[in-house]
Amino acid sequence: MDEQIVISGLNRSEALRYMGQADLSCDERLEKLMDGCEAELLLAIRPRYLYQCFDFTREEDGIHLDGTSLTLPGDDIRNHLAGCEKAVLMCVTLSSDVDRIIRVAQLSDMLSALALDCLASTAVEQLCDKVELKIKQDFPAYEMTWRYGVGYGDLPISLQREFLMVLNAGKKIGLNATGSNILTPRKSVTAVIGLSRQKLPPAKRGCAVCNLKGTCAYRQKGIHCNV
Amino acid sequence: MFKELLEKEFVILDGGMGTMLQKSGMAMGETPELLGITDKELLIDIHRQYIKAGADIVYANTFGANRYKLEHCGRSVEEIIRAAVDNARKACEGTNAHVALDIGPIGQLLEPTGYLSFEEAYDIFKEQILAGSDADVIVFETMTDLMEVKAGVLAARENSDLPVICTMTFEENKRTFTGCSVSSMALTLEGLGVDAIGINCSLGPKELLPVVRELSEWTTLPIVVKPNAGLPDPVTNQYHVTPEEFASYMEKMIPYGVKIFGGCCGTNPDYIAALRAMLAKKSYMKNTPALLPAVCSATNTVVINQPRIIGERINPTGKKLFKEALLNNDMDYILNQAIEQVNGGADILDVNVGLPGIDERAMMIKTVKELQGITDLPLQIDTTIPEVLEAALRVYNGKPIVNSVNGEEQSLNAVLPLVKKYGAAVVGLTLDENGISKSADERFAIAKKIMERALEYGIPKRDIFIDCLTLTASAEQECVMETLRALKRVKEELGLRTVLGVSNISFGLPNRELINHNFLTMALTYGLDLPIINPNVSSMTGAVRSYKLLTAIDMDSMEYIAAYNAAKQPAQSGKKESSQNGDKQISLAFAVEAGLKSEAGKITEELLKTENAMDIINTMLIPALDKTGDEFEKGKIFLPQLILSAQAAQAAFDTIKKSMKSTQESSVSKGSIVIATVKGDIHDIGKNIVKVLLENYGYHVVDLGKDVEFQAVVDAVKQYDAKLVGLSALMTTTLVSMDRTIQLIRENHLDCKIMVGGAVLTPEYAAQIGADFYVKDAKESIDVAKRILGA
Repeated sequence: MDEQIVISGLNRSEALRYMGQADLSCDERLEKLMDGCEAELLLAIRPRYLYQCFDFTREEDGIHLDGTSLTLPGDDIRNHLAGCEKAVLMCVTLSSDVDRIIRVAQLSDMLSALALDCLASTAVEQLCDKVELKIKQDFPAYEMTWRYGVGYGDLPISLQREFLMVLNAGKKIGLNATGSNILTPRKSVTAVIGLSRQKLPPAKRGCAVCNLKGTCAYRQKGIHCNV
Repeated sequence: MFKELLEKEFVILDGGMGTMLQKSGMAMGETPELLGITDKELLIDIHRQYIKAGADIVYANTFGANRYKLEHCGRSVEEIIRAAVDNARKACEGTNAHVALDIGPIGQLLEPTGYLSFEEAYDIFKEQILAGSDADVIVFETMTDLMEVKAGVLAARENSDLPVICTMTFEENKRTFTGCSVSSMALTLEGLGVDAIGINCSLGPKELLPVVRELSEWTTLPIVVKPNAGLPDPVTNQYHVTPEEFASYMEKMIPYGVKIFGGCCGTNPDYIAALRAMLAKKSYMKNTPALLPAVCSATNTVVINQPRIIGERINPTGKKLFKEALLNNDMDYILNQAIEQVNGGADILDVNVGLPGIDERAMMIKTVKELQGITDLPLQIDTTIPEVLEAALRVYNGKPIVNSVNGEEQSLNAVLPLVKKYGAAVVGLTLDENGISKSADERFAIAKKIMERALEYGIPKRDIFIDCLTLTASAEQECVMETLRALKRVKEELGLRTVLGVSNISFGLPNRELINHNFLTMALTYGLDLPIINPNVSSMTGAVRSYKLLTAIDMDSMEYIAAYNAAKQPAQSGKKESSQNGDKQISLAFAVEAGLKSEAGKITEELLKTENAMDIINTMLIPALDKTGDEFEKGKIFLPQLILSAQAAQAAFDTIKKSMKSTQESSVSKGSIVIATVKGDIHDIGKNIVKVLLENYGYHVVDLGKDVEFQAVVDAVKQYDAKLVGLSALMTTTLVSMDRTIQLIRENHLDCKIMVGGAVLTPEYAAQIGADFYVKDAKESIDVAKRILGA
């Protein structure tokens, strides 16, 4: 895929929240550290993405994407795609250099490492947002659902490898999964977006449907993660 | 047969396989290699179409036929590869076409980005190569990771006599996805003795031209190009370059020494026919660049066309802390030595981990692997043991320097074959059975002998670096100039690059830096290319930089100005926090609570003059840490401040440890804790934060890293007699590994408690899998450690 996406600035308060800075305050010293980390990260990031739109068939064992070998099982993805006619598979990655700078930082400065890690998580979300905009442009007649991550809800993470194969992500953007289905490079996302010509019901997202609702550190502090 | 093929004007490969299979109705995501068994006729037909179009070599349908990708398909690697090669062979019957065993990427990234080890990758390729023994040539293609290709090439070389072709996939920035450069690919693979190298996939022929041009500057091997049919349309995924356009773009590559042509994604027999028609009227133009002396990592090539600094600090000789780090498997210490030298201005890092009492081979493998994960500087493997040397050469990702061979028969016979096999450069020491000669002429003679022997093995002159040996000025003053005279002769008469360990010159003299500095400048003037120095000493790197400026190597003084003009802005500003408190007296407790790292170190240094180390730890450091821990728990401060405070305490601890090394006091350790991120999981930042905190409380933390085997945890608990184990997992799918690890610890009846943590863990699940403690954050791990091991 062709058209480059550029990420020029990162969402600071989001990164602070990932870092555990619950009140999102940032004194001069932390600010300076975040500035340095952000600059370093922006140099290391090489945003790459892929997406492809499929018609699908609702089958007994799940959502079958036409023309592929892939069936997405589970109730959650079925609900996610309720009312949709098409499904877009997307994946993004920030590149392996990002992994390297986080690894290096961990040797001498854990706080910088944490900041880089959380800023990178922010960057990958920002990249996803930009890819979503592109999808929107490609399919102007459709409404879009939010992006449903592989491994979220009851959509098994073991689909990761087949998902990447359908998009040919290893060959096209260097995105792979380990034997235990962790994406490598690390700062990457795979997701499913539903497309509908009808108006979609308001999205069911948030704590009630989240896997982590029992243990989430944000909830324990009475806040939430904004997903 | 490959040699005969290369006698043809050009060799033509086939076009896309996936493209043809998809056209025939294969679903996306399906395992294409299965079709070789379930639909033989389809495959034979595709191969025949390509042969008819003009292909001299057809690639068997084995691209993804490895045990990882075929895991769930119900057929073995051997069955699928044998069938695929057989199909291709049938298609070749009655023609002059040949069959290639086609090997693509494994589909899983290797360490350090992924977690497939080099050894596993080798094994996976070996299985494919043995199964494909009926092919005529082995092809590695669409590769993006140089380490992976190297594993494949070694597997091919060691398990087959077939010729090997390697093509990698580059983006428009002339790098692969993992950052591998064109020069690194060429230097490494030509060194490993492959028969042809080149580029395939990712881009169309038009976009690949600049990549081919660069490759032509770095290799004398036949060049292979197998591009896509242009760039795919983002929405439809269709390719738009026509066969005729394709052929005309490919024509432009002939002047760059391309001998072997084919097509990749989006191409079909029409493209191959167009290629054949175009090539029929052309002649091969052999590529004969003057190759440069150079070494490389996968992402960084260092050309030895000017003085380059080899950092000497990764070496335990005369360094207590380094020796202790080796004994304790403290990889962080060693890696920090690397980072310091990178920041100091080193171009290459020497790596010596030889110490009596340790498994040098295992340590060398580990060190080389870890170093490659954190620095892109090329490495110089420094060992006297051939087994250690070979182990390092296998896992090194790039073209390293071997340090060293000398003029002794035994050394020449043991080291040079390894240098040749792995395509390294080599340092030749000018000594032999008679020791080090005092005369320049005799050292020159040994250099000449080493060169001649290396040439006999097929090691080119550009890869031989001669060390004329620095003798100590205080003991053998008259020999100093002999060394430099020998160096000059080696350089001028033999035309070889020179290397010299500099620091030895001043041994036993006061103000060593001054002597080192001047000797370095003299040596550079006599033609030294590779000074081995401590790059953290600014006058030494400064001598090299100013020499380059004064000899007009550093054109327009760019490098010099970059190094000295602007105050560098380090990205990790936490490291260099400003001393906001000026000269104001602050307490250690305050420095720790406020997270002032350098102050904490300095204050501790002062305190140690009057106070006992244990008192400082118990009455100042620990209470300060407790206080920040408490504030963290109450939500008054957050994780970033907790880490800052921990890092300040760590600086204090490091100062204390150093002082203990000098006063031989007993260790400060309060007992060992083994920590690990469990098997299958590679999320380790949380575990690493826990480690920093625990170390500050004086516990000896044995960090096993991530993706840790169950048994490794058990072994470490036994070895270090650990009373506490901390396990981390961040995914629901890897909680199973946590469970298994705990089971194994229990089955071994080890006398230790287990604490577990990680985002997806619940106290209930922790209890269910038999953990003794669930810790919700890093702070709680301290509370548990205090309970079990004492505060």
